[in-house]
Amino acid sequence: MNKKRIVVVCPGRGSYTGETCGYIKSEDKLIKEQINFIDQKRKDLKEPTVTELDQMPFNKNFHLRGEHASILIYSCSLKDFLSINNTNTEIVAILGNSMGWYSALSFSGVLDQLNSFKVVQTMGSMMKHNIIGGQIIYPIINDSWVIDKNKNNQIMQSIEKVDAFVSINYGGYLVIGGAQESLNNLLKTLPPIKQYPYQLPYHGAFHTPLLKKISKKAKELLSEKIIQKPTIPLIDGNGKIWLPWSTDKKELWDYTFEEQVLRTYNFSASIEVAIKEFCPDHLVLLGPGNTLGGAVGQILIQNNWNDIDSKDAFLKKQNELSYLISMSLDSQRKLIAI
Amino acid sequence: MNVFNRALIIDKNFIRFVNSENFPSPRVNSSQEKEEATVSEIISLFETQVLSRHIDLKSRSLKDEGNCYYTIGSSGHEGNAVFGKVFPYTDLAFLHYRSSSFFIERSKQIYGTTPIYDLGLSFVASSDDPISGGRHKVIGSKILNMPPQTSTIASHLPKAVGAAFSIDRAKNLKIKKPQLKKDSVVICSFGDASVNHATALTAINTATWINDQGGHVPIIFICEDNGLGISVSTNKNWIENSFSNRPGIDYIKTDGLNLIDLLSQTRKAEKICRFNRVPIFLHMKTVRLLGHAGSDIELGYRSLSDIEKTEFNDPLLHSARILIEKKIISKEEIINLYEHMRNRVDHVFNSVISRPKLNNIKDVMSSIIPNKNKKDLPNIPKAHLRKKLFGKEYGRIKQCQHMAKLLNYALLDILLRYKNTLVFGEDVAEKGGVYHITADLYKKFGARRVFNSPLDETSIIGFGLGLSHNGFLPISEIQFLAYFHNAEDQIRGEAATLPFFSMGQYTNPIVLRIPGLAYQKGFGGHFHNDNSLSIFRDIPGIILAVPSNGKDAVRMLRASVREAYQNGRVVIFVEPIALYTKKDLYEPGDNKWAFRYPEILDETKVGEFSQYGNGKALTIISYGNGLYLSIQAKKEIEKKINKKIQIIDLCWLSNINIEKIIKSIGSCKKVLIVDECRRTGCHGEGLLAQLSSINSYEISLKLHAAEDSFIPIGKAATITLPSKNSIIEQAINLVNE
Repeated sequence: MNKKRIVVVCPGRGSYTGETCGYIKSEDKLIKEQINFIDQKRKDLKEPTVTELDQMPFNKNFHLRGEHASILIYSCSLKDFLSINNTNTEIVAILGNSMGWYSALSFSGVLDQLNSFKVVQTMGSMMKHNIIGGQIIYPIINDSWVIDKNKNNQIMQSIEKVDAFVSINYGGYLVIGGAQESLNNLLKTLPPIKQYPYQLPYHGAFHTPLLKKISKKAKELLSEKIIQKPTIPLIDGNGKIWLPWSTDKKELWDYTFEEQVLRTYNFSASIEVAIKEFCPDHLVLLGPGNTLGGAVGQILIQNNWNDIDSKDAFLKKQNELSYLISMSLDSQRKLIAI
Repeated sequence: MNVFNRALIIDKNFIRFVNSENFPSPRVNSSQEKEEATVSEIISLFETQVLSRHIDLKSRSLKDEGNCYYTIGSSGHEGNAVFGKVFPYTDLAFLHYRSSSFFIERSKQIYGTTPIYDLGLSFVASSDDPISGGRHKVIGSKILNMPPQTSTIASHLPKAVGAAFSIDRAKNLKIKKPQLKKDSVVICSFGDASVNHATALTAINTATWINDQGGHVPIIFICEDNGLGISVSTNKNWIENSFSNRPGIDYIKTDGLNLIDLLSQTRKAEKICRFNRVPIFLHMKTVRLLGHAGSDIELGYRSLSDIEKTEFNDPLLHSARILIEKKIISKEEIINLYEHMRNRVDHVFNSVISRPKLNNIKDVMSSIIPNKNKKDLPNIPKAHLRKKLFGKEYGRIKQCQHMAKLLNYALLDILLRYKNTLVFGEDVAEKGGVYHITADLYKKFGARRVFNSPLDETSIIGFGLGLSHNGFLPISEIQFLAYFHNAEDQIRGEAATLPFFSMGQYTNPIVLRIPGLAYQKGFGGHFHNDNSLSIFRDIPGIILAVPSNGKDAVRMLRASVREAYQNGRVVIFVEPIALYTKKDLYEPGDNKWAFRYPEILDETKVGEFSQYGNGKALTIISYGNGLYLSIQAKKEIEKKINKKIQIIDLCWLSNINIEKIIKSIGSCKKVLIVDECRRTGCHGEGLLAQLSSINSYEISLKLHAAEDSFIPIGKAATITLPSKNSIIEQAINLVNE
């Protein structure tokens, strides 16, 4: 039997919510071992364990703090990644959105168990005491999920005008990063569309030059020796493919702790490269949650992938083929999980 | 194993030889004092080479399944990955068709590009193909600065020279927003067989000619010498002997099978070219694998042992040897890498098969004249600037003048308004052209904007096309119509096809002025009086202008420049030499064919025609000299038939608006088409056919064209051509039918 070829997509900050509480729990031995390892490391740091975090009632002001949210998200993704049935699937590439990049590094073999924890914990805790700037999210699509180019251009001008930055190209949305003053300006001036513009709680100005100090500190704390060559191809936030053979470890370290920290994370490009350059049978979205699902659908529409040109077409194709598998949805999880 | 299936044999051999570490010996000593690339960079180049190979192998199997239509591959030429790495993507690249590795490697310079998928779409001729939209398998990309090429005959070399020349010229002229970076170079590649082609030789000659005069031509001619042109061998030292001692161009040789040598020599070539702004001939010795194309059975003209010997020199095996010798990766890793790439290419290509294809006429033709980079027109120059420029002539622009003078005025205004225009051709500078149409332009705009070319029409046109790739608008001149013929392909195969094969992402606007046509008394003979425009009749998308008088000529030249500037169009502007200095119409001194210089905004739009009279006894349709003679004949025809007639001057021989012409013919039942060109293939013939197909036999149509003869010299010069008297005779006969 031919194995299903899949590209694994790791979610970023904002994916762990009240609805995903209890997600980490598993009876699988390997998963339990891995989570125990993380719990132990958290204990060493005198932080609540991920198991504790995952099982306690959701508190926005607690769970969404970087030092907790990052490791929770990573742990949920790790659980899902380890649940993928390797007997009938072949992972042809891995990518992530924003902090999902650290998960991707981990699952592709670039970071070992300990360094995966270190990277996620360290990068998630960088703004523990002082969040630099923030992020807001704003749509650039119409009701059919098709990008409105004029609207996009206008927003880009607004962003430039207030010295803010595109933090993430996120399918049909722009995640805008900047100093709070810049964001306040945008929150006032961008025409309201449903709940947008919306400021993401406890998010810093990720992927913008405002994090220069964070990048410097990250490079001091996390040496380049922690980086190995990937065993599975990686697609980064520029849409660049890192292959097991040619990957330059120093370059990957520079990218991870400098470039992607300071420059726009082009999640849209990474998905485009995944679908076109690997042509997987499925994109598999790891948990927690499936908030990335909409963004992925919008990117498929942008690329007219398999003639998907609207939200309706995407949903119809999803019903027929489940091209995008969200592991947090039981009906889809069973297509891929052990 | 089937000896004919060389793709399968090469594929199996690679794995077998790597596993047994049975590698070809190095052909050059590649030990360098300094490392030319990091370990990762060398592996990355190898990854590109392997991808390119699998694309070839896959295309062969897809061809067998009927899903791939063009299998000229890159196998053996994978070394050109190094060019894709060494030259930044901002260096414009005109490549030949064995350049998949180059394409893939250059793609790595811009993150988010999808080279395998895009090549796949091109191989299966899908309308999703981002460069040609399914019109051809081309190696091209807008974002990667690679204009698509289909040429197999080095016809892209002349424009590469023009583009290279344009870089420093744009700097010197302070052109705003040139498309090419000021320190960039141009690269163009071609095979060892096509270097024998006149087009290649003329381009190399022009580059050295300019260099010899102190001009800057930062171009690297890359000859990818695989020793074969389809079935014909190139002698071992032919390329080296031909180009290694040529003045005005540096020759650098490299082994296309050796990544290290390639990196070293290419970097050397790049450095010299970029810093010294001089042409370089980079000679890459390589091999050709898998025959010329999928349909080519090499065993028909080469021995099996010769083929096997070549196949053992597979560049991928050489690269694998280097990787293992330098302990960069193991043989197992090489095999893993090889299979990984196979897997990826397989899936991507299997996926693109289902993508849509062009399936209707409208879609196919939609890219003949598109332009995705429309420009706003520059402002009309202020009156005081025009006055200063025209000097003493300014007082005369309200006087009636002949066509030659008016065209000269028009060019003055155009060069003043459009700062990106350049005028060049044979004798156009100090001499002002053999008919003085470009008189004083050199003096007024300087040698950087108005300059002489070598005596070579292919280069004149190709050079212009290259200039236009950097935002210039060339107004080049071919001295006589007959001289155009040796350079035809630069318009037919290059200029006209570029928007078609790039979906309008690339255009090469040009206004090509050509003095021509017959009726010159006392000068020339055939080659200065050539009376055939049929060469322009069937080329889709070009505009052909043939004015009959000075006023129209000015208005049409302005429209031509605007169309080229704004819409990226290719315009052929044929000026009837015999009418250049014609001022009188009916009798000496009547000055009725002299006109005032049209107001600065006046234009005759493409497709618009002029009408003389509105009598319905007869309609004469003509242009150029035929129009002039028809107007002379009009009075006598009307007198003899005692009825009024009308004459239509087509002005533009392309974009003929048949419906509008039929409307102008109106109730008239007799139409005489007067065409000064040779009957066979003339535009009148086409017009006759079009009118006939619509006419339903209600109108009597007749074509009065020149005989199918060349033009003799002396008093016999006009014998074979329509004359005033012959037009009168034909008209009366038709009316009386």
